[in-house]
Amino acid sequence: MSAFEELQKHYLERDLAAQQWKKSGGKVAGYLCNNVPEEFLLAAGLFPLRLSGDPQGDTEKIGNYSEQGNVFSREGFVASILHMILQGKYDYLDYLIIPHARDSVHRLYTTLSYRQETEPDLKLPELYYLDNLHTKFYSAGIYNCERWLELKKQLEKWTGQKITDEKLSQAIAVTNENKSLLTKVADLRVADRPRISGFDALQIIGSSMFMHKKEHNKLLREYLSGEGDFPERDGIRLFVEGSPLDNLQLYEIIESCGATVVAEDNCWGNRSFDGPIDETGDPVEAVIDRYNNKAPCARMYPIGERIEYCLQNARAAKVQGAIFHVNRFDEMQAWEVPDEMKVLKENGIPSLYLKDQPYRIDDTEALRARISEFVKGISR
Amino acid sequence: MSDQSSDKQMQTPNAVRAYQREWIERTRQRVKQGEPFAICNGDDFEEILNVMDIPVIVINYWHALITTKKMDRYYQNILTERDYPATIFSMGLATTMDNKPEMAPWGGLPKPSIIIGGARQDTEMRILELWAREFGSVFWPIEYAIWHGIEKVPPPNWFERIRDHWDELVDPHKLDYRVQEQEKLIRYLEVSTGRKCSLPKLRQAIELVNEQMDYWRMARDLIAKTSPSPVSLRDQLSMYQVMWHRGTPHGRDFLKAYYEEVKDRVEKGITACPDEKIRLMWVNALGTPPLWGKWAEETYGAVCVTHNYMGIAVDSYARTILNDDPMRTLAAKYMMLFWTTPEWIAAQAKHSNCRAVVTVAGRQTKAAYEKAGIPMVSIPSERDDEATRAAISKFIESNLL
Repeated sequence: MSAFEELQKHYLERDLAAQQWKKSGGKVAGYLCNNVPEEFLLAAGLFPLRLSGDPQGDTEKIGNYSEQGNVFSREGFVASILHMILQGKYDYLDYLIIPHARDSVHRLYTTLSYRQETEPDLKLPELYYLDNLHTKFYSAGIYNCERWLELKKQLEKWTGQKITDEKLSQAIAVTNENKSLLTKVADLRVADRPRISGFDALQIIGSSMFMHKKEHNKLLREYLSGEGDFPERDGIRLFVEGSPLDNLQLYEIIESCGATVVAEDNCWGNRSFDGPIDETGDPVEAVIDRYNNKAPCARMYPIGERIEYCLQNARAAKVQGAIFHVNRFDEMQAWEVPDEMKVLKENGIPSLYLKDQPYRIDDTEALRARISEFVKGISR
Repeated sequence: MSDQSSDKQMQTPNAVRAYQREWIERTRQRVKQGEPFAICNGDDFEEILNVMDIPVIVINYWHALITTKKMDRYYQNILTERDYPATIFSMGLATTMDNKPEMAPWGGLPKPSIIIGGARQDTEMRILELWAREFGSVFWPIEYAIWHGIEKVPPPNWFERIRDHWDELVDPHKLDYRVQEQEKLIRYLEVSTGRKCSLPKLRQAIELVNEQMDYWRMARDLIAKTSPSPVSLRDQLSMYQVMWHRGTPHGRDFLKAYYEEVKDRVEKGITACPDEKIRLMWVNALGTPPLWGKWAEETYGAVCVTHNYMGIAVDSYARTILNDDPMRTLAAKYMMLFWTTPEWIAAQAKHSNCRAVVTVAGRQTKAAYEKAGIPMVSIPSERDDEATRAAISKFIESNLL
């Protein structure tokens, strides 16, 4: 099996590495979103596993949950994660860290903690709520810092081991190497003749969140050593902006239309490894600084930073067009789209706005036709 | 029907409506003369702005006016045309984007000096940021708002604890941060407007809110134990406008007058719904009477005598000042106002001798209400249509007749 096939295997069998870790006596800490400092988890000797949904799962049940009478979440990927947890598909998790991210993620925490209290027979991992704020002001940074230090303390309590500076520095070295290798993947995507498809890149990046980073680095090094043999790709260069993409449906359709997704602004794509951690100073402060200042997601204030991030990345990737893909009920993402489309247009980049998209794309042909028309329009 | 009967019309709700009209005209004049003006979300900062004598329009109220004027679809189209999500919370932004004051309620809002908005919901900060940009006004983000004060679901009896024991319910770290946020915003307002805030005035504002809510409770209790109900749900809900003047002497005085009028009606035997046979509680998000209310009353004598907003007023707003710290007390209220738990709704319904709660909700909510001790009539939508009537008829005929 080639290094890429191995990475792909872990992308498709997302619990594989975590289950193996568990079998060998280790503990697994699940987390949501990309604002949980996995360096702390690694330094604590835990296996960090980012939770994802499954659009091909039991979607009839997705969204059919309520939290003490309040509507839970209609956002597909969060509802899917909740469903998977309640169905026992994540029953191997020892701990679950849920950050203060979008509302539906917060409600995932309140729903699970309510279920934990009212249904003692329900097997759930130990829950931890990681608060953090929606602004990057100085005072918000101080507040977040205190919360991350509390998490560090909790991890030490769970594992009975101190997270020493040495262990944390080692963890930082591992995640920095991962970021650096993934940046090489990103560079190969934006080359004048792209050498990696968006479809493959999403799997390479995603697998880094389902594997131990050390193992991922090893496979990625091996994979990149063969870069000279990567075939060059033709087609229209596209940028993708929008809702979290924890699956391949969209890219598969886009790239079947004669286009290549050369970059994206997505927490399951390039944004997940944005910004290395400073290895020269105090490691705890360095981790906190990175998470305080990493590229913003749609929940963050102000909108200007989001627009700038979108524009910068689209331009750096020399794209010919952009696709905005926003899932149904993801209003947070939808509110920034008009401004982003406007600024891209001003910079000569046309956009296609796919709004209110279902988490599971059932009508692939209709979507393919829209994207195909857009791609042809750029080609003309 | 009760609400149309002129001899049963209440004085206080009409006085409140008239006051609101007069208030906005006065505010417009003040702003014209260069005084500051603020927009904020409900339960985010109003008491402080009132103390500082900075007129404030609460977003929820502005949206209610748009809806009442049946302009919601018009403004939602404005947003859709610009590719923005057409939500109720964004209608204020749409009025400014539209830039046709003659179309908007009250001839449109004056340009605010500041729009204050928090992370109560995912999109709130973003929408208000865009609204401020559209006006060319300052936007001031606030991190914590109601529902963020507590990480887990609150205990079932939270509504019995919140007035005197709010410190047990709100996370202290978040509360510390919210206090700092308030202090920073007060400093900014002091610098930018020259208006002053003071602890004695804040203390007084909280005490006035408490008095206001006590009168409301007394009125609510009279309505709860009097059948047929002496006050229509429409009039009860119209008193909610006084919420936008919380912490002011006139806010308190309106509720005092309301209580006295309710008491008088009870003593004189005046009823709002003489054919009342079945008492129901209506639960919806907007705080509006049910569109099917007249039909239910005429068909079954089924009357919605209370609403979740009455519980919000009576149970949620009053706070005992702890540790002689009105700023922290207020901050705690802004962070944990209420939580719509089935236990709370059931307690309100039982208190008002309602035999069921009517709401638009799913199967699990229904089960949760029943577990809490009150049957729930689940209706498919708020519309007064065949499907809604069929659901209500089925429940009443099977369970209450």
